[in-house]
Amino acid sequence: MLAPELTFVAGKGGVGRSAITAALSLRAARTRERVLAVALTDPGGLAAHLGVELDHRPRAVRAGLHALAVDRRAALNEYLRLQLHVPRLAPLGGLAAGLNLLVDAVPGIRDIITIGKVLHEARSGDWESIIVDAPASGQFISYLRAPATIARLAPPGRIRQQAGWMQALLSDRNRTGVILVSLAEELPVAETLESIGELRAEDLAGLTGVVVNRCLQPLPAKLDRIPDGPFRQAAIHQQELATSQAAWRRKLPNPTEVPFLFGIRTPGEVAARIADEMEGS
Amino acid sequence: MVLVTGAGGVGKTTLAAGLAVRAAESGLASLVMTVDPAHRLADALGGYSLVNHPTQHPEVRGLWAATLDAAASWEEIIRRHAPPEVADRTIANPLFEAVTSRFPAGQAYAAADQMASRIEEGRWDIVLVDTPPSEGGIDFFLAPARTRELVGAKILHWLTGARLPGRRAFFDIAARPALKLADAVLGGRLLGNVAEFLLDLRAAYDGIAHRADDIQTHLRSATTLVVATAQPTPIREAERFFLELPNAVRPPAAVVFNRILPADWTKAAALPPPPKLGVAVVENLERWAAEAHRQQEARAEFASRFRARLAEIPWMSADLTTPADLSRLVSAARGLPLDQLGIR
Repeated sequence: MLAPELTFVAGKGGVGRSAITAALSLRAARTRERVLAVALTDPGGLAAHLGVELDHRPRAVRAGLHALAVDRRAALNEYLRLQLHVPRLAPLGGLAAGLNLLVDAVPGIRDIITIGKVLHEARSGDWESIIVDAPASGQFISYLRAPATIARLAPPGRIRQQAGWMQALLSDRNRTGVILVSLAEELPVAETLESIGELRAEDLAGLTGVVVNRCLQPLPAKLDRIPDGPFRQAAIHQQELATSQAAWRRKLPNPTEVPFLFGIRTPGEVAARIADEMEGS
Repeated sequence: MVLVTGAGGVGKTTLAAGLAVRAAESGLASLVMTVDPAHRLADALGGYSLVNHPTQHPEVRGLWAATLDAAASWEEIIRRHAPPEVADRTIANPLFEAVTSRFPAGQAYAAADQMASRIEEGRWDIVLVDTPPSEGGIDFFLAPARTRELVGAKILHWLTGARLPGRRAFFDIAARPALKLADAVLGGRLLGNVAEFLLDLRAAYDGIAHRADDIQTHLRSATTLVVATAQPTPIREAERFFLELPNAVRPPAAVVFNRILPADWTKAAALPPPPKLGVAVVENLERWAAEAHRQQEARAEFASRFRARLAEIPWMSADLTTPADLSRLVSAARGLPLDQLGIR
């Protein structure tokens, strides 16, 4: 399901993106030596699922797996130095603060610097596989659009050249792909279908898979034979959810099902269990 | 005013809608404002479609609903506060849409502005707002202050070194090293666009700053309900309301845990199962009982860490498609501060 080099894991808020990103990273690290997991915006979820604090520099999580969180301010300095060849802003102070404000105010710039950090890691050749915990769908699409936005707003020059190679790397099916995570419920399915449409219509990036999280299977039992009480209630609960989920799942193209995990207490358990489940499938 | 907030996907909109239906049934004129509701929920509320304009429910007396649209709201905000020709130019600037739709507090501010307008109209006894899903809703409370900052144009100040710069100052790039750098990064045309946009936005500054104060006052007097489920992410978002909320805002009236499983499932799983039940049925209860137990633990842990009123809504597996369904959801809940909201 992973793209050859760079995989973005996206989906509506609350569907378990960070858990799936962590699970895919753990699984990739079982067979590869240089895997990088990246938190693009809010690092809390990925950090909890991997059980480590994240920094803007890659940190070792376990054998074969590193992780980092994109820090926009650090990324801006790196971007200016490495990409635009602006000399190091020796006494940063007010100048950097001002530039940060400007970057915050012009959305395309902020987005291209954030996603640029990831694309730069991909271009460095340091990693066999990069897996990115992307923000919720709407925001994620505007990150993917950032290079095109910049190409439209900015005049020819260095930043526009940067936008060019970034756009090419994002839309290259042989290198980059997107996994959309969903739940078998109305709003997540609607949002997933909308994202698929936008990725295709604007040729932003290739779709490599759709993951449906927290799936429940129907019980192999006849409900009418169960006497009233908790056993019957729990069976009806399971059956109704499974039926409704199956209907929503059918609307998605080739969904990969990840089962609902019962009774899990810590986020660390979640990623390991999902990685095991994926191994089995 | 009631704000229903929390992480995405926990059932904020459904609870806000349920409370609105119950308020209407109690004889209150009630308005629920939501961002991007599910189709079925919108249908349950009367299938409203008019953006930013409350629509009366065809069957439920006293129930009104409206959706919030940030881009449309910002156009309205600018037109209200800036002279017509400046407003036209601002809205036509390519940065306008980009800034208003992507500036993190922009959507939240637009929603808060709409909400304040409805409250000031005084037509409703209760206005329920389901906060936009930005960072679990904390942004909503910070939006007025952040918007003041943006429009206050700290950036302009930095770019030009003058407090209220004239247009000309902008193009004297050589005079300021910061501008030279920004020019190298952004290119002159984009910089010019930014400058023009911010200068025009300044025309609306006094109006927006004043308005932001009003909105802050409304937010301060609002009753807040934080919705969560027993999943780690929603709990983390709920915690932020206790750890990070600015002092100026009242603490949540209740933290509402949604999708609660029956406690007697846990008890039943601890006893030997009745005879003649299939293995699948017995194991099914055991799994759900473990889940119910985990939910109880998560709630207890939250209660031990934060002093908050906890409310519970049972897990309903059927879709809620009518106002009666929504009303039933609220009736089935335990611990909601209905009396505080004037709901009988």
